[in-house]
Amino acid sequence: MTVEAVLKSGQAAKVQSASIVGLAACVPPRIVGNDHFAEQFGDGVADVTKMTGVLTRRWVDDSTTTADLCVAAAQRVLADLEWDPASVDALIFISQTPDYRLPATAAVMQPRLDLRPGIIAFDVNLGCSAYPYGLWLAMSMVQTGAARRVLLAVGDTSSRVVDPSDRATAMLFGDAGTVTAIEYDEKAEPAYFVLGTDGRGANNLIIPCGASRQLQHEKTPNDQDKLFMDGGEIFTFTLKAVPTLVAETMQVAGKSIDDYDYFLFHQANTFMINHLAKKAKLPGEKVPINIDAFGNTSSATIPLLICDKLAGELSSKPLRLGMFGFGVGYSWGGASVDVGALKSVALLTL
Amino acid sequence: MSDFRDGLAEILEVEASELEDGFELGELWDSLAVVSTLALIDEVHDVSVSAEDLAECKTVGDIGKLVDAAVA
Repeated sequence: MTVEAVLKSGQAAKVQSASIVGLAACVPPRIVGNDHFAEQFGDGVADVTKMTGVLTRRWVDDSTTTADLCVAAAQRVLADLEWDPASVDALIFISQTPDYRLPATAAVMQPRLDLRPGIIAFDVNLGCSAYPYGLWLAMSMVQTGAARRVLLAVGDTSSRVVDPSDRATAMLFGDAGTVTAIEYDEKAEPAYFVLGTDGRGANNLIIPCGASRQLQHEKTPNDQDKLFMDGGEIFTFTLKAVPTLVAETMQVAGKSIDDYDYFLFHQANTFMINHLAKKAKLPGEKVPINIDAFGNTSSATIPLLICDKLAGELSSKPLRLGMFGFGVGYSWGGASVDVGALKSVALLTL
Repeated sequence: MSDFRDGLAEILEVEASELEDGFELGELWDSLAVVSTLALIDEVHDVSVSAEDLAECKTVGDIGKLVDAAVA
């Protein structure tokens, strides 16, 4: 199929000959409940919780990074799939919380996982839209013959970059690292993607300082080295972008709501997900939510949701999944992928 | 307009009958109320308004004018 129509949402792609064969998500052991914030925010805790739906989140300690969570997840996937680490041809790490400004965290992870020298390994800087982008990238690498086996590591430790005194973000985020294994499969059902960007929204979700620009951000009273989020602007963007993204992803795939087992939304906040699902006329039972237990884990939300809520089904049967990531950038991606039955799908604690 | 007014009353945690055009939003009009109202406007009128413009509204009448301009 060629996608001839110009979409409102972005660029469309169809990828063949690549399958998701396993995935794992790893969260830190520390569970932080809402009582943790009572002293700082008082009654504000209940107000924010009503909107976000976050009851608990997992936070790393000061010595644990996103890469540590992803390495543990990768080890689990490799073991479950009985993949020799030397058989992996590429490692992609997508995150906004890398180990270093340089080198790429994927390079640092490579020897930790005993992946052989000479493979493709690099980082991509994306957050909320990371998983659809990452699947498209990894599957495209397989389709073009650059790799037969790819590990896609996607995760964030946002707890390390939020301002603890900022009500808008302090309670929202959780930490998680995930790894998805993608392999050449000539019989794979095609996967479809719609991917877009509108950088005019860059200032609305940003860490102004810490890299080269050292922006003095006008709107944030917060620590300029910490995350700033303009929740209202992000919500407005989401209302405009996501319903069209959902419709056009199904259109590109040539499918309708009934053809999907689940619609997996970036777990941004509960109120937003419910609103988007209702607006897109998706049945509630097809829209799982787990932000209540894990918070908004940024790039990791969709694979974490799969490992948390769909592990049982996916280990026994194939599912057709619509996936939608949207946020920081602004960047967004929709994916229509047939997944399973999987030999490896696990949620583990570091 | 009544669906909208009922929804706004729920967001602001006041009685719908109190929400005359002159109703001062004051301290009730925090960022969470603004976001909830963005969703309400989208739901009831199927239009989106600027979060910044909405946040600057001082009265219920101001919100009404903003929505009217977006619908028109």
